[in-house]
Amino acid sequence: MSSQAEKAPNPAPRGSKRSETVTLVLLAGAGAAAWGFARIDPSQREEDVLVYNGPEACISAAIRTSEDCRRDYATVRLAYPNAAPRYATASDCESHHGPGHCVTGDSVGASATGRFVPVLAGYIIGRTEEQDLDPQPIYDHRPSEAGPGYVGSGSGGYCTSWGGRVSTTSGGSSSFARVASSAVRPASFGGFGATGRGFSSHGGSAHGSGG
Amino acid sequence: MRRVAIGERSDWRATASANGFTFHTLEGDPYWDESHAYAFTLAEIEQDIEAPSAELHALCLDFVGRAVEDERILASLTIPESAWDVVRSSWRRRDPSLYGRLDFSYGGEGPAKLLEYNADTPTALYETGVFQWIWFEEMLAAGRLARGCDQFNAVHEQLVARLRDMPGDGTLALTSYADAPEDRGTVAYLEDCARQAGLATRFLDLADIGLDGDGRFVDRMRAPISRLFKLYPWEWAFADAFGRALATAPTRFIEPPWKAILSNKGLLPYLFAMAPNHPNLLPAYFEGDPGKAALGTAFVKKPLLSREGANILIVQDGAVLAHDHGPYGGEGHIRQALAPLPSFGGRRPLVGSWIVGDTPAGLCIRESAGPITTNAALFVPHYIEAEG
Repeated sequence: MSSQAEKAPNPAPRGSKRSETVTLVLLAGAGAAAWGFARIDPSQREEDVLVYNGPEACISAAIRTSEDCRRDYATVRLAYPNAAPRYATASDCESHHGPGHCVTGDSVGASATGRFVPVLAGYIIGRTEEQDLDPQPIYDHRPSEAGPGYVGSGSGGYCTSWGGRVSTTSGGSSSFARVASSAVRPASFGGFGATGRGFSSHGGSAHGSGG
Repeated sequence: MRRVAIGERSDWRATASANGFTFHTLEGDPYWDESHAYAFTLAEIEQDIEAPSAELHALCLDFVGRAVEDERILASLTIPESAWDVVRSSWRRRDPSLYGRLDFSYGGEGPAKLLEYNADTPTALYETGVFQWIWFEEMLAAGRLARGCDQFNAVHEQLVARLRDMPGDGTLALTSYADAPEDRGTVAYLEDCARQAGLATRFLDLADIGLDGDGRFVDRMRAPISRLFKLYPWEWAFADAFGRALATAPTRFIEPPWKAILSNKGLLPYLFAMAPNHPNLLPAYFEGDPGKAALGTAFVKKPLLSREGANILIVQDGAVLAHDHGPYGGEGHIRQALAPLPSFGGRRPLVGSWIVGDTPAGLCIRESAGPITTNAALFVPHYIEAEG
């Protein structure tokens, strides 16, 4: 779609001080309603990961090297006490991770004392080294909250420390999962914008931060 | 330079709507006003605006080169020490700039006087490059402007060309507050330009920028952001929680961090010290500099960091003539000699001169009733009169 502007009868003569033509490819005929056009559907970015309950399963699957399997598991064991999600009560924890899947925090580390955390169910590692994916601890997820495509054996699949959902494709011994990147790659958000919001009382929000 | 009661196009609101100009009225108040226009001679444009703009921009670049190597200068601009390396390395890499706007006091007589350089987050870009251009072409086609008239406005073509020429991986993410219509409109326009330049673009609300475990800025899908246009001032970004991550994140920014040196009113005393006899520079001093006494009882006091006229104080004959209240100023002030905006029947135009890349590219006029141009100013189109 091009703008009305492009249909100006005579382009500006050469040597003039203005644009010869002005074309809009996104805004023309659209207005504010169309400004969401470039938002990408989160489901579009996915990646393949491997899910194992421990290093032996990883090694015997022989997709990643035994060295990678062991190193990544050691990384995950080390991260688990601080990475595991915290719950105020055992029932809060079990309602998320399922009955019998939670322990008291002091049993995993000092930083979790007084809270409840899910037990470590296993770990996720990238399908290839080139993915450059940090291994992540995973926890059982309560079955009733399993995704519609899940056909696992009695479990609700898994979740990561920040609640990203991971379901292996056919349950049982299959270790393969295709997941949203956001489920396996942690990031923090909201770190930009707060300072400007502190100034927004002046001039009205319509004017934002430009000048 | 004349103010001409030229009259509106009867259908301009429909034209605005058809071209995505959604913020011609802001919170019930008019912003675009084409009931009249400013007419310039070609000599006024080329000799009084365009040539000085190129000269001052070049002087500004010289100053950036000095400032990044002198921590006293960076400190005087209240750029936080944690950001010095970010600013410095962006300049040493020569991270390219996209655009900026020099604001002048100019009424057709005498040299234009630089009031400030909005080098980091200027808006009024779409209105200049697109809607003002459409206005001109339609007025010309309708015979309401004489054949041979012109407009100083290659902004659109220059933006597309600059975006095409910038080095990168073919992608550009753009961010602003999604809920601020004027900002969102400006960014939507730049996204349009970037698409025309062949870039794969995406818009992210500021809140949708993430920081991953490797210190990279990512989107909600964890896709790394290699290049980000941000309509968000550097001094705010430096102060935000993610400010510290800027030092190591591989993302390249437009505008680059070195623009923080130019979008600061502290630029003005330094420029004046570098070129005290430049016809387009006003005497200016830091508030703490005893030299400010040279300005006597007529001066303008400006916070180092403010936008849209906020917190500016005008003193004439020792009395406060005008004072805009606002949230800025905690970081310090400068004093600049008073160059009152000219009055055309009580209306006061501020001439904005666009720099795209390193080249003057066009002009916009925002008009106020009072001596300070605030965010209540009206955008008024301009044209160049036919010669002879």
